[in-house]
Amino acid sequence: MIGLIPVENSEPLGAVRSLLRQLLESGLVEALFVPLEMESGAITPALVTDPDHLARANPLAPAMPINSARAVSALTGKHSPARLGVVLRPCELRALVELVKLQQASLEEVTLISLDCPGTYEWAEYKTLQQANGTNLTGYLTKGEAYNGHGLRQACQMCSQPVPAGADIHLQFFGADLVTGIPVELDAGLAELLEIAVNTDAAGADRQAVLDPLLAQRAQTHQHDLKAMGEHIASNGGLPGVFETCIRCYNCMTVCPICYCKNCLFSTAAFNHAPEHYLNAARRKGAMRMPGDILLFHLTRMNHMGLSCVSCGMCTSACPADIPVGLVFSLVGEQVQAAFDYQPGKDVHEPLPLVTFETNEWVEIGEVR
Amino acid sequence: MSDQNGFEPRIVAYLCNWCTYTGADLAGTSRLQYPPNIRIIRTMCSGAVDPVYVLKPLLDGVDGIIIGGCHPGDCHYQTGNYKTRRRFVALQEILKASGFEDERIWLRWISASEGQKFADTINEFVTSLKELGPNPMRQALAV
Repeated sequence: MIGLIPVENSEPLGAVRSLLRQLLESGLVEALFVPLEMESGAITPALVTDPDHLARANPLAPAMPINSARAVSALTGKHSPARLGVVLRPCELRALVELVKLQQASLEEVTLISLDCPGTYEWAEYKTLQQANGTNLTGYLTKGEAYNGHGLRQACQMCSQPVPAGADIHLQFFGADLVTGIPVELDAGLAELLEIAVNTDAAGADRQAVLDPLLAQRAQTHQHDLKAMGEHIASNGGLPGVFETCIRCYNCMTVCPICYCKNCLFSTAAFNHAPEHYLNAARRKGAMRMPGDILLFHLTRMNHMGLSCVSCGMCTSACPADIPVGLVFSLVGEQVQAAFDYQPGKDVHEPLPLVTFETNEWVEIGEVR
Repeated sequence: MSDQNGFEPRIVAYLCNWCTYTGADLAGTSRLQYPPNIRIIRTMCSGAVDPVYVLKPLLDGVDGIIIGGCHPGDCHYQTGNYKTRRRFVALQEILKASGFEDERIWLRWISASEGQKFADTINEFVTSLKELGPNPMRQALAV
């Protein structure tokens, strides 16, 4: 059902903080995972048990330091130790669904709070935005307008799913008139506990009118950027060309919400090659780049998480070598997802493609062509 | 190894212990001829072939990789080869999307009684790889 959270003094953030406070104080949740705005202006996700700390909660700031699905995995494990509320952006929610399927997180006793997400900025960009005047939070939240005219992270610019699916509490900012309140979609039981009345008129009148052009614009960017990357791969010596500047720092793996292995193959002794290994390779090829095993690393990672890639773009944001890692992974991920007709993060009950099978599929494979 | 054209493809073959490896054995004991371009690695199941076992030789410059398993429905472990098939589809899609030649990687179902099919398959693979030429990864610097 749809209700309305009252907004006072045109301060949507205050209304969101009150809602979070209510969740925690009413005991609906025992702890709340939400981004906090620190003294320095940093946006830092934290698990909050003292409602007073919610005075600095800021899930509306257009910054995304981590994909929080990873944190929720750490907070819940196989069984959540308490009733948790977690505030996630749509891509974080999708990643969490994948982690649940990978048995790395649990949704039991977890209340999922999400919001229409207009997109986020690279950290450095966000910092300059904070210092600048005239930031337009309302236009950003309700219409997806650029926050102070700056460009979003590339993954956000091409994001086709800015609206969360499967949240228990969904703050519907797109098309909302924030003067009266924030439209919120939640189930009736939860609404009653939070004393939110049904209000069928609450849904932003312009929601569709905002969403349609926004999605169309994103789809266009999506298509354009992926096509450009496809052409780049085709014309620049394939994938090796794209990763020429890779320093194998593993940042992309560290920030990836899907890459969960406790012991990555690439940190094992299997890749502690003897010095002769490099010399032999150099003799064979004429020259051998260092560090080595770059493509093996990226292709193996694609194999491990490509089907579950939610295109959050954290890998690109974390890359010190300016490689559009996320774009490559989105391009490849979407192709392999299409082959299995699989949409990561869509349905927690749908099995992962590689843990299931049908006996009568791809029957032509393995036979003489 | 070199013929008149100078190019003899090097092939890594991962063969399932219960079917294709035994099929290769049968090809041998039946004195069937097939080119000596393959290096066979026996695995307990085609489903035990991790994609990284395919990627590593491919990026090191091996010209072809073939995975041999039991026919669907005949897996010694009931369902291993059905999982191989899905994994193979995923790997092929990833390689295609990232600009690699997916023709260098074959999956074939060859049973323990199909010695002839094994010899024919290797002949066919070698011929097709000779047409394709050497794996460019062998000389690629930035791998």
